Amino acid sequence: MLLAFGNFTADPSVNLQLLIGGLALGAIYAVVALGFVLVYKSTDVLNLAHGEFLMLGAYFALTFLISENLNFFLGVFVLLLVMLVFGLLVHYGIMRRMVGQGFFAIVLITLGIATIIRALLLIFYGPTERARLDLLPQGSFEIGGATVRYVDLIIFAVVALCVLLFFLFFKYTRLGLHMRAVADDIEAAAAMGIDPDKVYAMTWAAAMVMAGVGGLLFGHVTGAIDRSIEAIGLRAFPAAVVGGLTSLGGSIVGGLVVGVIEQFANGHLGTKWREPVAFSVMFVVLLVRPTGLWGRKDLERV
Amino acid sequence: MTATENPATQQASNTYRPSTLQRFLPFVIAAVVPFILGATTNDLNFWWKAAITVAILALVARLAWRWTPRGELTHREDMRLWRTPSDRSWAALTMFGLLVLPFILASDFTPPMDFPWATWFAVVNLVLIFAMGAAAFNLLVGYSGQISLAHVAFLALGSIVGGIVGVQWSGGNMWLALPAAALAGAVVGAISGLPALRLKHLYLLLATFGFHFVMMLVWREYLQEYFGFVGIRFKGVNSPRIASWLHWLPGIDPDENGEFIITGQFRWYWVLMPITVLSILFMVNVIRTREGRAFAAVRDRDVSASLLGINVARSKLMAFALSSAVVAMSGVLASFYIGSRGEDSFNVQTVLNYAIIIVVGGFSSIQGAIFGSAFFWFLPEWFKWAREELWFVRDIDFLSDYPSEIDLAIKGFLVVIILMFKPDGLAGMWRDFKSWLGRRLARNNP
Repeated sequence: MLLAFGNFTADPSVNLQLLIGGLALGAIYAVVALGFVLVYKSTDVLNLAHGEFLMLGAYFALTFLISENLNFFLGVFVLLLVMLVFGLLVHYGIMRRMVGQGFFAIVLITLGIATIIRALLLIFYGPTERARLDLLPQGSFEIGGATVRYVDLIIFAVVALCVLLFFLFFKYTRLGLHMRAVADDIEAAAAMGIDPDKVYAMTWAAAMVMAGVGGLLFGHVTGAIDRSIEAIGLRAFPAAVVGGLTSLGGSIVGGLVVGVIEQFANGHLGTKWREPVAFSVMFVVLLVRPTGLWGRKDLERV
Repeated sequence: MTATENPATQQASNTYRPSTLQRFLPFVIAAVVPFILGATTNDLNFWWKAAITVAILALVARLAWRWTPRGELTHREDMRLWRTPSDRSWAALTMFGLLVLPFILASDFTPPMDFPWATWFAVVNLVLIFAMGAAAFNLLVGYSGQISLAHVAFLALGSIVGGIVGVQWSGGNMWLALPAAALAGAVVGAISGLPALRLKHLYLLLATFGFHFVMMLVWREYLQEYFGFVGIRFKGVNSPRIASWLHWLPGIDPDENGEFIITGQFRWYWVLMPITVLSILFMVNVIRTREGRAFAAVRDRDVSASLLGINVARSKLMAFALSSAVVAMSGVLASFYIGSRGEDSFNVQTVLNYAIIIVVGGFSSIQGAIFGSAFFWFLPEWFKWAREELWFVRDIDFLSDYPSEIDLAIKGFLVVIILMFKPDGLAGMWRDFKSWLGRRLARNNP
């Protein structure tokens, strides 16, 4: 089995193509990882439902932008607004009661939310797959024998912009400061007059909006929009971990690193190696440096 | 204080100690009567048998209740698995119920409103397999606090061992595959538990999830190497059978080829039920030992546990090895029972299903795993029946248009609602019910 590793090629254009494909994939991972990081950073919740949030975003994008045929910017605005409302719903409906519960109970409740979203999407949209979105420019150009799609560049730009915005938000705004304070020590923050409830609600809303952006972007590069696109949520785990679960910038670096590694494994070893290689990288990172490349280290007291 | 006022002596005067015969008689009745009822096939009609069954259930429960040692107990008596009257009563009831159930389900009887009798039998067998796996999962995740999502990886490992030992080497010898899977599960489980020595909570969850994907790769490679896309067939020539030197046992009548193939729900029940019951009793007993208490200590605070002299590393690896061994065995059973395993037999949804089972049943309780898996398998069957037969549900088109989706949605809502309002799950509700019943009985005859 291990001897079947072959197929290594020295052809630079193939490797360049793999690199570019990996960066494109990595950009998508970065979008998803950013959602994980946002939630984990301020609420300490590992949101296993993020893939489903993203699927929700993609289907809503279908509804607003294709079926309703709204103007692009208006449609995106409505999409993000609806996602924001859903984020508030998730917090005030469910997650609010789970504050202070055990870690695994909260992980499981996000799995419950994931199951509900999947079932509801199946009921309202049906199991038939839809064509992918085609609202962003579809063309491509060539560099050194490798094709670069405009969509990938746009995704890349959007991710970088989002990371920058969130970075500025956390650093310079009052709400961002509150979020960081609550993440650090919820009781101390509450004693200082910060309302953790509101902060958590904003966090979930932000994560949902991010998932809306992610769904819109991923809807342009996925093969087709159907129920299988939720898997992106799980596949983005290595990216989030490699970058560090508490680091915004780490998500983008982790996304790109894992995307490139995965794409090279895909190209040189075969498709089946994609996930094992990515998760092995995650495994090694966890063992060597559990908080990822840029994650915050927590001290533990007995 | 005089001797008569001394509470200790008063308690001693209340001490009641049944004879050994009395102590075991209810369980002997519970063990023997089902077979007598099952053997008398055509003499009595169904309702008579049902009435007799209920009467004996009541008798067994009452006797087990009454003949319980109480008052001042010896240490031995205090350490028994079934100690209180209610424990012994429920144990006797469960024993009787488990033994009589297959005869009831195999009997030729049409329940009112076409309740699907035959599918129930299949569901009961699945519940047995899943209860075993879920209890082991709960032992690791709930009781030992080692968060792991590598659960399905060990089911796959069970299928691989079942494929190698049970199919390729011996052509359907499940009895050889079971211990082999337990051994492989223990070894691989201990290896997969190595990250637990360094990682905790979230990071451990992610690491074990990585292990899941690696195992899935191994599974796919194994399938394609030896079986191709059709997957492993555990049916037909590969069906498990009872060895010929055991054919003298009562109730075993070989077919015309001189073989006794385990096929059909009735025969499978008698294979699955003892294995599940024994492995669950084994896990319940593990919890009561020093090793099991060490698991709980490590879960609550591993640093403090190490100060108490517990070898934390050993304890964590032991929890992983134990749980994985049982899960791998349930994987073998599931493979042979279901009959075929293919590329998509194991996926992330299976992990979620086990999570749903232990949440709904009740986190960190072995009982909960049983309740959870029963609920998980009976719920869809019940809904299917309700959609087809129940007059006020039958006419709602929405429900019959989206059967599986609504099942999925209900499972999701159940997980969310139970975690929000009743974190103890069904096992917690059961405990509440029992204590309510106890209070109620105490009020009626003080």
